[in-house]
Amino acid sequence: MSAVEYLDLLLKALLLAGVYAAMAVGMTVVYGVMKIVNLAHAGFLMLGAYFAFELFNRFHINPVLGAVLAIPVFFLFGMLVHWVLVRWLPKSDTPTLASLLLMFGFWLVLQNFAYAIWGNEDQSILIPSLNLSAVHIGDTISLPKDKLVVFAAAVFCMVVLQIIFHRSWFGRSMRALIQNPYGAQIVGVDDQRTARLTFGLGTAFAGFAGALLGILLSFNPDFGRPFLLRSFVIIVLGGLESVSGVALGAVVLAILETFCTVIPFPWYHQGWKTYYLPPSYQPVVPFVLLVVVLVIMPKGLAGLFNRKWKTA
Amino acid sequence: MTRPSGIGGWLKLVLPWLLFVALLLLPVTSPSDNILRLLFLTAVYTTAGLGWNLLGGMTGQVSFGFAVFFGLGAYTTALLMHAGHSPYFGFIGGAAIAMLASFFIGLPTFRLRGPYFVIATIGVTEAVRVIMNNLDVTGGASGYRISEDKPFSALEHYYTAIIAVALAVLVSTIIANSKFGLALRAIKQDQDAAADLGVNPYTSKLWIHAIAAGLTGIAGGIYARRAGFFYPGDVFAFQTGIYILLMPVIGGIGTIWGPVLGGIIFVIVEEQISVNFPNFHLLIYGLLLIIIILLEPDGLLGLLRRLFRLFPRRPAKTELAGDAG
Repeated sequence: MSAVEYLDLLLKALLLAGVYAAMAVGMTVVYGVMKIVNLAHAGFLMLGAYFAFELFNRFHINPVLGAVLAIPVFFLFGMLVHWVLVRWLPKSDTPTLASLLLMFGFWLVLQNFAYAIWGNEDQSILIPSLNLSAVHIGDTISLPKDKLVVFAAAVFCMVVLQIIFHRSWFGRSMRALIQNPYGAQIVGVDDQRTARLTFGLGTAFAGFAGALLGILLSFNPDFGRPFLLRSFVIIVLGGLESVSGVALGAVVLAILETFCTVIPFPWYHQGWKTYYLPPSYQPVVPFVLLVVVLVIMPKGLAGLFNRKWKTA
Repeated sequence: MTRPSGIGGWLKLVLPWLLFVALLLLPVTSPSDNILRLLFLTAVYTTAGLGWNLLGGMTGQVSFGFAVFFGLGAYTTALLMHAGHSPYFGFIGGAAIAMLASFFIGLPTFRLRGPYFVIATIGVTEAVRVIMNNLDVTGGASGYRISEDKPFSALEHYYTAIIAVALAVLVSTIIANSKFGLALRAIKQDQDAAADLGVNPYTSKLWIHAIAAGLTGIAGGIYARRAGFFYPGDVFAFQTGIYILLMPVIGGIGTIWGPVLGGIIFVIVEEQISVNFPNFHLLIYGLLLIIIILLEPDGLLGLLRRLFRLFPRRPAKTELAGDAG
């Protein structure tokens, strides 16, 4: 492969990273504030895709607009879920058995609802002007328009989140709870209210990212599961509680997933030869990355940098 | 073991044996094939559920990845039988491979604090299924067939499963009453405090994970031998992992008889659901999980205990006399 082709792939990987970051960031804030591993995140992703799908099919609303509309709807839905289910969980510094099983049960319920309503066929949102056209740069580099639009939407929302995170009262109380839950409560942060809003925010981002993924890929009620693991890998890479770490983790995962099948690796089988990873093994990449990260740098990439800054 | 006191204590000691003997003698009444099949399934699933319970219930480490051990047990048994070994050797081999796999998950994750283990268990099911779907040795996604050179005997399968579940109960009881079991419970309550008292949380978790995996591997092997045909989308499915975890949760997490009770109920419910509501499996299991976690975290055994407490027995006089003396 030529250098330009690699560049083409690299650009596509970066475009993918945008959606991945939007997908994982909701999980990070929920984990950071409440120390809950939100397994229902996969269900919210799936519902987000179907939300955009229904809006597009019934009202012919552009799915990108649909993804933006998903934010307020899923925000309210998330707050409702928190009010009905999540707030009854005992508080803890580490994920508890109860929280895991509860969110898992809720994911199963969401999945079954989707099966009951939409059946188990794969659905997709197809718009020729979006899905089938591309922006060409030179001869080999072509960037599909849907990926560009989705990337722009994801990055825009991440920027908005960063502003909320650093400039608003709610964002500051969220960060305070992430850093030190007891200290935050002592200085007057309402942890129940912040937790409710945070869960809403996490769900909103899940719905938004799910709708964006629905533009790029076909989906069925079991849509969220592979992305659940990817979200985990990204937030572990990012150090579990850091929003900027998520962006970094998303880039690393997207690049690895894109390049894993085109980079030759040497293997001994009747003499040294170079092999390529068969594309069917690509879904294993996130898991292998997870294990490698846990062994080498359990605090994630961000933790690696933090340590260096602290010693410096 | 504590010495039994009162009628309740003696019942607790005798009932398991009565149950075991009853199950062994059951074929005398020549039950229908379906009853034998249901009891077989109950025993197999309960064995795996008891395994999960050792790790999830006693030690407090939730795993969503027990399907991996179940599937590895199934495939190892099948491959060993294909190579001409006895199926019983195959079960042991399946347990050994499952234990090895458990170290692969546990070694990198148990060192760390936080949700890493749970996350890894979700990933490993996906990863292993993808690999098995593409592996030529085992026929990839089209599955694997076990053929034995003798007529199918429902009774032999039944007895194998009953012995396996008895083994699982025995192992659980021994662990629960040992120093190791105390260490595990200490880890569940407070890992730091346990470490201060000289328990090594890392190695304890690794070993209990291995034992749990071994039991689940045996269950997988026994299941595979009776099924005769299985494929990665079946034994390595995420669903299988859910089923294994549901039984202890239904019955009562962390108890020994909870998973057994949960297993019996699970198989009955599963049969009823697949007949009456084939499209609502996940909904029913999901709601069950939510209701149990929010309302009765100790499962059915907890509920029973609470019901008994509504009708308190008169305090036994001998105990009071003992206090005074």
